Amino acid sequence: MTWVVRLVVLVPALAGLAGLLLARSRPAAQRIAVGAAVATTVLALIQWVAPLGTGDIDTFGALPLGDLSAPLHLLSDELSGLIGFVVAFVVLTIQAYTVWYLREDARYPQFAAGVSLFAAGMLLLVQSADLVLTLVGWEIMGWCSWLLIGHDSERAAARRAAYKAFMVTRIADIAMVVGLITLSVRARSTDLFAVLTEPGRTGLLTFGLVCVVFGIAGKSGLVPFHDWLPDAMEGPTPVSALIHAATMVAAGSYVIARLFSLYAGNDAARTVLAVLAAITMVYAAALAFAQSDLKRLLAYSTLSQVAIMLSALAAAPAAFGVGPGMGHLVGHAFFKALLFLGGGWLAVIAGSTALAPMAGHVRSGVVLRWGMAIGFAALAGVPPLVGFFTKDTVIDAALEGAADGAGFRAWVVVVALFATVLLTAAYCTRAWLVLANGPQPARRPANGALEVERVGAPAGSVTNSRLAGVAWSPDGAVVAAGTERPPEQTSAGEPDPELVDETPPAPSEHRPSVQVAPWRGWWSDTELLALLRTASVAALAAGSVLGTLLLLTLPGSIHVGWLSAVVSVLLIAGAAWAVWVVARRGQRDAADVLPQPVRAAAVAGLGADTAYAAFGRAVVATARLVVFLDRDVLDAYPRAFAATTRAVGRAGQRTHRAVPSLGLIGVVAGVVVVAVLGVTVWR
Amino acid sequence: MTGLAIDVVTLLPALIPLAGVLVVLVADLVVPRLRGLPYAVAAVASLGAAGAAIPGVAAGAGTVRTTFCLSAGWFSPGGGSFSYTPGEASPYTSAMAASECLWRAGALGSSLQLGAGLAAAVCLALAWPVARARPAESTREPIEAILFLTALTGTVVVAASRDIGTWLVALELATLPVIALVALTGTRAALAGAMQLLVTSLVSFALLAVGAALWFLATGAPFFSPDAALAAGQVPAGTVAAAAPAPSVALLSLSLVLVLAGLGFKLSLVPFHAWTPTAYAGSTPAVATFLATVSKIGALAALLVLVQALSGLGTPGLLAVAVLSAVTMTLGNVMALRQDDVVRLLAWSTVAQAGWVILPLVSISALGQRSAGIYLLTYVAATLVAFAVVARTVQEVGARGRGMAAYAGLWLRSPWRAGALALALTSLAGLPPGVIGLVGKIVAFRPVIVEGWVWLALVAAGNAVLGVAVYLRWLRPVLNPSEAETGSAPVEPAAAGQAGPSAVLAGRRLAITVALVASVLVLLAVSIQPQLLLGLFGT
Repeated sequence: MTWVVRLVVLVPALAGLAGLLLARSRPAAQRIAVGAAVATTVLALIQWVAPLGTGDIDTFGALPLGDLSAPLHLLSDELSGLIGFVVAFVVLTIQAYTVWYLREDARYPQFAAGVSLFAAGMLLLVQSADLVLTLVGWEIMGWCSWLLIGHDSERAAARRAAYKAFMVTRIADIAMVVGLITLSVRARSTDLFAVLTEPGRTGLLTFGLVCVVFGIAGKSGLVPFHDWLPDAMEGPTPVSALIHAATMVAAGSYVIARLFSLYAGNDAARTVLAVLAAITMVYAAALAFAQSDLKRLLAYSTLSQVAIMLSALAAAPAAFGVGPGMGHLVGHAFFKALLFLGGGWLAVIAGSTALAPMAGHVRSGVVLRWGMAIGFAALAGVPPLVGFFTKDTVIDAALEGAADGAGFRAWVVVVALFATVLLTAAYCTRAWLVLANGPQPARRPANGALEVERVGAPAGSVTNSRLAGVAWSPDGAVVAAGTERPPEQTSAGEPDPELVDETPPAPSEHRPSVQVAPWRGWWSDTELLALLRTASVAALAAGSVLGTLLLLTLPGSIHVGWLSAVVSVLLIAGAAWAVWVVARRGQRDAADVLPQPVRAAAVAGLGADTAYAAFGRAVVATARLVVFLDRDVLDAYPRAFAATTRAVGRAGQRTHRAVPSLGLIGVVAGVVVVAVLGVTVWR
Repeated sequence: MTGLAIDVVTLLPALIPLAGVLVVLVADLVVPRLRGLPYAVAAVASLGAAGAAIPGVAAGAGTVRTTFCLSAGWFSPGGGSFSYTPGEASPYTSAMAASECLWRAGALGSSLQLGAGLAAAVCLALAWPVARARPAESTREPIEAILFLTALTGTVVVAASRDIGTWLVALELATLPVIALVALTGTRAALAGAMQLLVTSLVSFALLAVGAALWFLATGAPFFSPDAALAAGQVPAGTVAAAAPAPSVALLSLSLVLVLAGLGFKLSLVPFHAWTPTAYAGSTPAVATFLATVSKIGALAALLVLVQALSGLGTPGLLAVAVLSAVTMTLGNVMALRQDDVVRLLAWSTVAQAGWVILPLVSISALGQRSAGIYLLTYVAATLVAFAVVARTVQEVGARGRGMAAYAGLWLRSPWRAGALALALTSLAGLPPGVIGLVGKIVAFRPVIVEGWVWLALVAAGNAVLGVAVYLRWLRPVLNPSEAETGSAPVEPAAAGQAGPSAVLAGRRLAITVALVASVLVLLAVSIQPQLLLGLFGT
């Protein structure tokens, strides 16, 4: 059984390497990527069903670090089993979806290999029982995110986004590394359990934990480090789904959860975490409301949701454990992946990821429509969906924390949580109204979908470049969305889950292709690709509805308080109603009520990018100053040394004429000096 | 009263070169036409001397091979053959004298003898003659060979001598033939160099004689032995206050510094160094090599004889040595930085390295002596290679081979030779490819640090940096011709044609190549495995 745990990491890692080294052909790459993802999911499922409950699974043997013990063990328990399974499942859907999404991309093999490697990094981190392995997984994700975000490397915006993500998270990683080293040194071991059980040395512990908080703030996008995430939308949609749903962004929460017993007893570190998380969740949710681009909107919502997970870890009483935070991680993984994959589908149809061109396109297909509806509803926290349970568990945990005497940090979190619930419901409603109410897309009855896909397919690869233009110019991004629309609409707040459950995976919309290409049979390429896409979205939609059942296995992850649930439902309904009214029942974009300059600023991320650039310039200026000091001030001493030496040499050359008498004078003078020294200073 | 016990096997390092001298003379009578023969015989004799020293090296640090041991009655301080009456009876008794041996070759002395023998063999190979058209023209070759051998004999003997007489005679035996060697070519430059060498050496010998006399005055013993030094340190009961240093100790110290001054000439320590560049530049590469290697070994061996005797006194350190060392290495490096003639550069480098050689002697302890010996042999190995490359180049392109420009782009023309030169120069500089140079510098530093000479350590560290500049200045054009400082065109190998037909040159070229290869192999071996060299001294 221990091999299952190792294979969960090994299989995607080997698939990534094989994809990079071997697979030059697309079919081989597809088979490797999807096959490995299926295998990983099965292995992770086995591990989740029967966790070993041990943290002593050997990998390479211990590192010879002298005084510091580094056993490099893996662990397997209920938490790692559940998270590992969710990660593997989401990665599987993403790999399947990618086969469709990047069907025209020449560099698909590299991309799929990158995704596999990324998954390996996350699964290593999830199953690591050693801080060194945690750091290795953390770093693998950092590098892979750079590769994947910059996938469209011919575009300057994508390259910039990749470097931005890498640099920002890297800077935060400094704190992460320092924190993990501090914790290891404190315990004289990198073993997770040794670190958790080491008593005493509170000062060092606090320092290490606060450093880790700042470290995870980078990858999880807490406030000072948040701005790389919206820009990372330059990457292809599957990457966005991967980064946002289950891996990189959520990794920070998982690391904190693993160290929870240390955090539970450390008020200072938790207060820092609570403040950062509270600011981030409200700030990001507010910005999400104003975004004119679906992917950027989802990015801000991710920031907000991840902050909710972290706030649960920051505010929950120690007795509650990591259940609330991890529960929200699982729920978020499902509905965020769903929203991204659906969003990508929409973008392909509309030819852009901006909200305005997408208006109405959500009605292109049943699965798409219901998938997006479920996604937004779960994100907003509408009752029977997984988002409702996990979010209200967090609220309940925070309230319990406040009641438990946690004081300031719990109350900050509670207030921020309610504000976020309100804002989240508002931006979900607004986005849904924009997507659902638009001019009915021109659809020919027979093979309309296929037509759309054919048009959309080449657009798929350039989709993001158009989006980039929108996203990067603040005024251009604010597109008036209020066009005439048919009145028929679905309330964003109240979808019917039963209907979705019965939705067949690949219904009517793909049948026409059979008529178009009858000679290729039922399983023609186009057909299969579209099926993969639809199945992925459908599977994630199912997960978003039924994910609560998964959480039943994780103690403490579902614990909804009566009162708080009622309050949050009321808040959601109120916000949805208000947005509906403001949007004049979907006649216009609700964000249009915001003043134009405010919206432009929000789309531009409130100048965070400018601040980053200014920070970079300040660093470069400092470096220039140091170089100047080094070259023109410090180096003056060596140069003076050289000049002096040369002058002395010239003088010496002049005195050394080949005359015996001069030599004799030297001898006599030397004898006198030496004799005087020898006799007087004899010691 | 029994006779002196003479152990011929122990004496072999000195006897073999002497036998070589005889063989050369006889061979010259019998077959005067074979010009290479004296050198061959002399080289074999040098190697034989080195081989005969090996048992002393192999015996390890503790054992001392002795002969000419005195028995009771040979020497009586109160009367007899020596009379000593400075006021009261000397503490040095005839019982002490009875335990003295006139030839004591320990591991340190034997290692120096070994190094001297090998270095002399390399010098003889570098001096290999060119066959000439008129065989009866001169008899220079046997004379040169004999001079080399006698100087080597003096060096070998001085390393093992313990009594003042042998010590002084052996030192002169090591010095005077070298003066003749410098003068032998008869050019103006050679005569100027020999003149300066001679004048300085005469003054220095006077200093040595005075120093030896002072030793005898202070100790009452004609032996450089720890017993004698202790005897001078002992205060006869009741005569002098215990707190003040005994006057004989002051005499002893004066004796030491005078000897240091006298040997400073041979070692090229700074106020006594003025002959060095002149003599090197005036002599052939082979003689310059001999001056830079075997002569230095002899001088250090002579100094170590005295230091060994003093080490029993428990003297912590010597300011005079420290000052000489600091001044020497600084001036040597500074001057070497300005030389464009590579022989002069090596001459000044010798001066600088001499400062490094006596640096460890600020601590008169076994550690200091051993470190000085190790550093000296390191320097000798690297210098032999550098001079062999110079000799090979001079043989190829004539006198231009002494200019630095001749080495521009050597890497492209002759990678092996350039590699050997690079190894030698980095060894002298103490940079990684020449690991042994680095090891030597560290070894030389240790006694300085142990004794706490902070200022001296700082000066030495600064000089280590300067030294890198000195040697890299030569090495840089070798590897990258475009950076040659003079910018002159690289020397064409075709220029070798003017030196004579290749058949005549073949023997000389072969000899030089063999010497170069052998010395490079030694340097490479100790660079790869420094323990080989360190182990010689029983560390």
